[in-house]
Amino acid sequence: MADLKSLEHPTLKVPYEILNKKYRTAQKTFDREASHVTQAADKIEETISSSNVKARDITSLLGGMVEKLQVLKRKAEESISEELAASNVCKRRLEHLKERETLTASGALSQGAVNQWRRKRLDRMVVEYFLRNGYYNAAITLAEKSDIKDLTNIDIFLTSREVEKSLSNHETAKCLLWCYDNKSKLRKLKSNMEFNLRIQEFVELIRSDRRMDAIKHARKHFPSFEKEHLNTIQQVMALLAFPVNTEIVPYKALLDETRWDILIEEFRQENYRLFQLAEQSVFTVALQAGLSALKTPYPFCYSENSENKNPSCPVCQPCLNQLAEPLPFAHCSQSRLYCHISGLPLNENNLPMMLPNGYIYGEQALEQMAKDNNGQIICPKTKEIFPFKKVEKVYVM
Amino acid sequence: MDACLAVEKEIDRVLSKFGDINENTGRILADLIAHIESLKTEIENAPEDHTLTNVQIDILKQCMGKVRETVSRLTTDHRDLHSTVSKVGKAIDRNFVADFAATSREDVFASSEKINLINKVICQHLYRQGMQDVADALMADADIAPEIHNKEPFTELNHILDSLKNKDLEPALAWATAHHASLEAQNSSLEFKLHRLKFIELLRQDIQTLMGMLLYVPNGIGSSPYSCLLDSEMWLEIYELFTHDACQLLGVSVNSPLGTCINAGCTAIPALLNIKQVMMQRQVTGIWNGKDELPIEIDMGSDGRYHSMFACPILRQQSTQNNPPMRLICGHVISRDALNKLCNGNKMKCPYCPIEQSPSDARLIYF
Repeated sequence: MADLKSLEHPTLKVPYEILNKKYRTAQKTFDREASHVTQAADKIEETISSSNVKARDITSLLGGMVEKLQVLKRKAEESISEELAASNVCKRRLEHLKERETLTASGALSQGAVNQWRRKRLDRMVVEYFLRNGYYNAAITLAEKSDIKDLTNIDIFLTSREVEKSLSNHETAKCLLWCYDNKSKLRKLKSNMEFNLRIQEFVELIRSDRRMDAIKHARKHFPSFEKEHLNTIQQVMALLAFPVNTEIVPYKALLDETRWDILIEEFRQENYRLFQLAEQSVFTVALQAGLSALKTPYPFCYSENSENKNPSCPVCQPCLNQLAEPLPFAHCSQSRLYCHISGLPLNENNLPMMLPNGYIYGEQALEQMAKDNNGQIICPKTKEIFPFKKVEKVYVM
Repeated sequence: MDACLAVEKEIDRVLSKFGDINENTGRILADLIAHIESLKTEIENAPEDHTLTNVQIDILKQCMGKVRETVSRLTTDHRDLHSTVSKVGKAIDRNFVADFAATSREDVFASSEKINLINKVICQHLYRQGMQDVADALMADADIAPEIHNKEPFTELNHILDSLKNKDLEPALAWATAHHASLEAQNSSLEFKLHRLKFIELLRQDIQTLMGMLLYVPNGIGSSPYSCLLDSEMWLEIYELFTHDACQLLGVSVNSPLGTCINAGCTAIPALLNIKQVMMQRQVTGIWNGKDELPIEIDMGSDGRYHSMFACPILRQQSTQNNPPMRLICGHVISRDALNKLCNGNKMKCPYCPIEQSPSDARLIYF
C-alpha cells in the first residue's frame, strides 16, 4: 500500500531512534558496571598472589565482588527491559499499520473499518500537528480521547516542551542537559546548539555586568569550539569592551533579547533532526496535497456565484477555500462531467443536454423535470423557463 | 504490505535477541553470584586467623578467571546486538519514504494567518466528531475565539448519534418529527425507517419475555424470513442514514471536509512522489512548476469528485475563465482557444464532423 510507504516513515523512525538511544545507553552501562567487576577481580587476584593471605581480608573482598555483580545484574536487567519496551513500541505501531493492509485485503465488506482506520490516521496526524505547534493540552486530550497515545510521539515532545519552557525563561540548564544526553548524535549532526547556548550564557553574564565571570566562563567553555567557530568567539569576546546599552551594530544584536527565541527555534529544529522528523508535519503535507487534488480551477470552487459551489466539496468550504488559494489545482486531461441536478455522471446513458441559455444538465433529470412540469424546464441556476423541445444535444469528447 | 513485513522481520529479530540476552544475563549472573557466595561462606567458616591454603588460592584464581570471562562475554554479547538494532533503522529507511514532503511547499501554510485558518478547520472537524473537549483545549492553546454558531447543529447531531449508538431511538425520532416537512421535501425515508426500527424494538422486548416459549418452536423467529429485521446491521444502517439525511438537511457535507481532504492527500502523495522521482531521473524537474497545476491526474475514485471538469479535447487543457468551453453548431464542445486556433478567416471546420461553420456561431456553455 503506497500511502503507508510514503507517509508513515516518521511513525516508525522515531521509536527506532529511541530504541537506538536506549541501546547505546545500555551498552555504556554494561561496560561501566563490567569494568567495576573486573577491577574487583584484579584486587582479589593481587591479594591472593601475595603470601600469607588472611581469610578475613579475602571474605570482605569477595563480599565486595558479590555486591558489584548484583549491581551489574540489576542494571543489566533494567536496561534490557527498557530496550525491550522501546522495541515493543515499534512493534505495536507496525501492528497498527498492518491493520490497514489486512483491511484492504479482505475486500469491500470492511469499508466501514477502513474508514475507521483513516479516522484514526487523521487523529494521529492532528496530534502531531498540535505537538509541533505547541498545543500540548489539545494534543494530549485528543490522543487520550481516541486512544492513540502509543501511536504518537507525545513523549519526546513533552520533553522538548520542558526545554522550550526553560529557554523562554532565559535558563540554559535544561537545554544543556539535553545536549549532553544526545551528545554523540548531535556531534554527528554537526549541531551548534551547545556552542550557541554557551555564547548566550556569556552574553547574559555581560548583561548582568559580571565581566570577570564572563572571562572565566569563556576560558572554561570556548576552547573546545575554537576550531570551528574562532571568528564568532573573537567577535563575542569583544563584547567585554562594550557597555550593555551599546548601539554599535554586531554587539547590539548580540545583546538582543530575541536571541532567546532564536535559540528556541534552533532547539526545535535540532530536536526534529535528532529524531529524523521532517521539517513539515505529515498533516500539513497531506492537507496541501489533498487540497490540490480536489481543487478545480474554473468555474467552481472559486466562482463568485455561490450556486456553482458544492456543499460536499471540501475546497468550497470557506476556510479550506482560503487555504487552497495559493495551491496548484488538480490536473485533468479527460473531461469528467456531472449533472448539477441529479449529481449523476454524464455519459452515454445520461447524455449532456444544453438549455437555450447555455447551461448543461443531464438528460435523465431534464426528462423527469419535463414530465413533472408539463414539458417545461426551469433552469435551476438562472430560473429561466424553457420548453423541453428547445433542449439541444451536446457532444463532449 | 512488504514494507511493513520487512521492518517487522527485523524488529522481531531484535525482540527475540533481547529476550534471549535478558534471560541469559539473569541466569549466568545469578549462578556466578551464588558460586562466589558459597566460596565466601566456605572461607568465612574457617578459623579467624586462617591463612589460605594453596588449593583455596587456586580455586579463587579459577573463579576470578571465570568472573572476567563471563562479564566480558556479557558485554560483547550485548555489543554484538548493534548490527541487529541498526538493521531495523535501515529497513525503515529502505521501505518507507523519509522525504515525504518533497512535493509540498513549505511556505504556503507558514504565515500566522494560515495557521489560524488551519486551526479553525480542525476545530470545526472536532466539533463534527463530537470531540468538544479537544476543540476547547485547542482554542485555549491556540488562542482562537470560539464561534458559537459553528458548533450548535453538531452538538445536537452528536447527541442523537451517541444515543443511536446506544440503541436509543427517542432523540432521533424527536428530531425527525420536528423536521418532518423538510425531510418529506428531501424524499427521505429516514422517518419511516426510524419508526420501523422502533416497531421492531417493541416487538423484540415482547419476544424476550416469550423467549422461553420460543425455545419450543422448532423453527424459531431467528430462522424466519423476518430474521433480517432483527439484524444489528439495521442499527448501522440507520446511523449512516441519519448522518446522511441530517447533514443534507443542514446543508453541510456528509463527511468531514478535513477528513475528505486528508484522505485525498494520502492518495495523492504517493503518486506525486513517484512522478517527482521520474522527473528527477529524466532531469526534467523544470517542468514541475508547482504553481498552478499538478503535473498528473490523481485518481480519486468515483465519490472523490465534486465538480464537473471540462478538458478541451483538442488542447488537452482544462477550461479556465479565459478559455471556457464552447459548443459548435454541430453540438461538439471545444475550448475557446482551440476554436480560435482552428479558425481560417471567417470559417472553420469542426474537428469531429464535416460541418463547416462560422466561429461566431459557437456559443459559450456552462457545466
